[in-house]
Amino acid sequence: MSGLQTDGRVEQGRLLTVENLSTTFATERGPVRAVDQVSLSLDRGQALGIVGESGSGKTVLSRSIMGLLPSTARREGSIRFGDHELLGSGAVDMSKLWGREMSMVFQNPMVSLNPVMRIGEQIAEPLRIHLGMSRRDARATTVRLLRDVRIPEPERRVDQYPHELSGGMRQRVMIAITLACGPTLLFADEPTTALDVTVQAQILDLIAEQREERNMSVVLVTHDLGVVAGHTDVIAVMYGGRLVEVAPTAVLFADMRMPYTEALLQSIPRLDQPSHTRLTAIPGRPPDLLDPPRGCAFAPRCAFARDRCREEAPTLTPADNPEHRFACWYPVGSAEYLETRERIASGLTIGGRS
Amino acid sequence: MNYWVQRLTASIMLLLAVSMLTFGAMNLLGDPLFNILGPAAADTKPESLEKVAAAKELYHLDRPLPERYVRWLGDMVTGDFGVQFSSTGQPPVSDLVVERFPRSLTLLVMAQLLASMIAIPWALITAARANRPADRISTINSFLLIAMPNFALAVILKYIFGIKLGWFPLTFKATDPWLTRIYQTFLPALTIALPAAAVYQRLLRTDLITTLQEDFILMARSKGVSRRRVLLRHALRPSLFSFITVFGINTGALIGGSLIVESIFRIPGLGSAIVEAILREDFPVVLAIVMIITTAFVIVNVVVDIVYTLIDPRVRR
Repeated sequence: MSGLQTDGRVEQGRLLTVENLSTTFATERGPVRAVDQVSLSLDRGQALGIVGESGSGKTVLSRSIMGLLPSTARREGSIRFGDHELLGSGAVDMSKLWGREMSMVFQNPMVSLNPVMRIGEQIAEPLRIHLGMSRRDARATTVRLLRDVRIPEPERRVDQYPHELSGGMRQRVMIAITLACGPTLLFADEPTTALDVTVQAQILDLIAEQREERNMSVVLVTHDLGVVAGHTDVIAVMYGGRLVEVAPTAVLFADMRMPYTEALLQSIPRLDQPSHTRLTAIPGRPPDLLDPPRGCAFAPRCAFARDRCREEAPTLTPADNPEHRFACWYPVGSAEYLETRERIASGLTIGGRS
Repeated sequence: MNYWVQRLTASIMLLLAVSMLTFGAMNLLGDPLFNILGPAAADTKPESLEKVAAAKELYHLDRPLPERYVRWLGDMVTGDFGVQFSSTGQPPVSDLVVERFPRSLTLLVMAQLLASMIAIPWALITAARANRPADRISTINSFLLIAMPNFALAVILKYIFGIKLGWFPLTFKATDPWLTRIYQTFLPALTIALPAAAVYQRLLRTDLITTLQEDFILMARSKGVSRRRVLLRHALRPSLFSFITVFGINTGALIGGSLIVESIFRIPGLGSAIVEAILREDFPVVLAIVMIITTAFVIVNVVVDIVYTLIDPRVRR
C-alpha cells in the first residue's frame, strides 16, 4: 500500500469514522470491556475533545483508534481512516501510519522521551524512517521543527538530552516529534496534566496553532472540561467505556443534557467563587468494568437516577438538535430532573445518592 | 577532577591494605626455608646451620617483618616481584607472571567476548517474547547452565567437541604459535562463557522487560519505529546496567584465572600458579598474583563507572 502521505490523503471532509468500536482486555479476573460500542467521526482539520474522569476509557479509546494496545486487548467494530479500514482482515500496516499519518502526544513528557537519546535524534527518527531523509536534511528539519514549537536556541537544543530540559520544553519536543512528518491526525492524551498550570495554556495554544497551520485533525483527551472548552469543535463525554454525550462544543456548554457532564463541569474549581469554596466532587467511584451495572453505568452515582435508570441502559440518541446526542432517560431540563432538583433543594432526597 | 583524585587515592589505599594483609597472613602460615633448603632447614648440623643462615640473609628472612614488607613494596613498584622461594629461586617471579598472565588473560577475554555474544542476542529475543513458550524453555536452559558445575560442563564440552567431533584440540601447548594457542583456548573459554552468558542473559532480560514497559518505548512505537529497532535502539542501552555491573565483577574474578578450567584443559595460567604457590608456601608468587588480581579489580571498577556514564547521560557530572 502507498503508506498515504500523498496518494489518497484526505485533504478535506471526513478523515476518521469509528463505528461500534469495542475494546476488551483479557485479564486474570475475566474480560474487561474498556471501550463499549463507541461510534464517532472527525473531519479533516476538526478538533474533538474526549472528556471523562480516570477509568472512563478515554485513553483506551484513543489508543484503540491508533492501535497502540497491549497484546491482551481485542478490538471489534470498524475504524476507517481516509479510505483505509484499520480493523480486521485487510487492515493496513499500522506502523506505516504511525508517526506519518497519525501520531500521539503522551501525557507525561518526563517519561515519554528516551532518556539516553539526544532529542535531535528522537525527532529525526520518524523523518529518517518514513521520509527517508538523509542525516543532514533530518537535522535541518529537526531544527526547524524545534523553532516551530518555540524552543529557544534550537541549534543547541538538538544535541541535548531530555533531562537537560524542563517539563514544558520536553512536551514541546514531544509535539515536535509528533508533527515531524506532517500527520493528518494528532492524538493528545492529557497533554498538559503533568505540567505546571502556567505552561498548560501555552502547550494547548501551541497545539491549536499547529492544527490551524497544518489543517490537522486533533483528538484531545482530557479529564478537564475547561481544557476542551476553548480548543475543540466537538466534545464527546465518556463514562464507563461508553459515550454518554456528544455535541459541538458551543452547544454542549450552552445546553448540557447528561447529569454526568453537568457534574464534571461543577467539579472544576472556579475563579469567580470565593476562595476556600468547597470543591464539588462526584460521589462514588467509576463502575467496575468486570461486572458492569445492568442499567445506566452512571445511575449508582447519579442524584437524578430513577428505577428505570437502574434497569435499562439508555442509548446515545439525538434530541431536538441532531448534532447533540446523549444517553440519559431523564436529562438535564426534563420534568423528572427538575422535580428531583426541587426536592434536593428543599432538603429532601430520594434514593440514588450513594 | 576532584572525584578522580579521590578515586585514585582510595584505589592506592586499597592496594596497600590488601598487600599488607596478604604479606602478614603468608608469614603466619609457615616456614618457607623448608622449601628453599629441603630437609637441611630442620637440621642442627653446623654446615646446615650455616646454609640456613646464608639463605636467611639471601632472602632477607632474618630481617623484621615491617622491613621486609617495605623492601618488597619498593621492589614491587619497580616491577620486580623478587625471587621464588624454591631451591633455585628461578625463574624470578616477574618472569613467571609474564609467562602465565597472558594465558589467563586470553582465556578471560575470549570467555567474556563469547559470553556477551551469546547473552545479548539471547536476552533480546527472550525479552521480546517474555513469558511465551520460547522464553520459558530458555529460562529452563539458562538455569541448567547456571546450576551445572564447571568441571562437568568442561568434561561434556571436551567430550563432544574434542573427542567425538574432534573440532578442537584437547590440550594446550605453550610452545605452539599464538594463533594455535588461541584456537586451543576456545573450548576452555566456552566452558567459562556458557554459565556466565546464562547469568548475563537473566539480568539483561529482566532489565529489558522492565524497560519495554516504559512510556518512551510506546512513544517510539507510535512514531512508527519497527519492533526490532525499538529493541536495539531504544530498549537495549538503558537496560545494560545490571549486566555491566556483573560483567565487571566477573572480569575481576576471572583475571586470576579459573583453576578448574585451567586444570581440566591443562592451561598453565595464573589459576594453577597461585594454587601451587600456596601449597609450596611460595610467598612472593602468591603476593604477585594477589596484587595482579586486586589491581585488575580496581581498574575494572573504574572502567565500569566510565561505561555507566557513556550509557546514561544522566550519570555524567
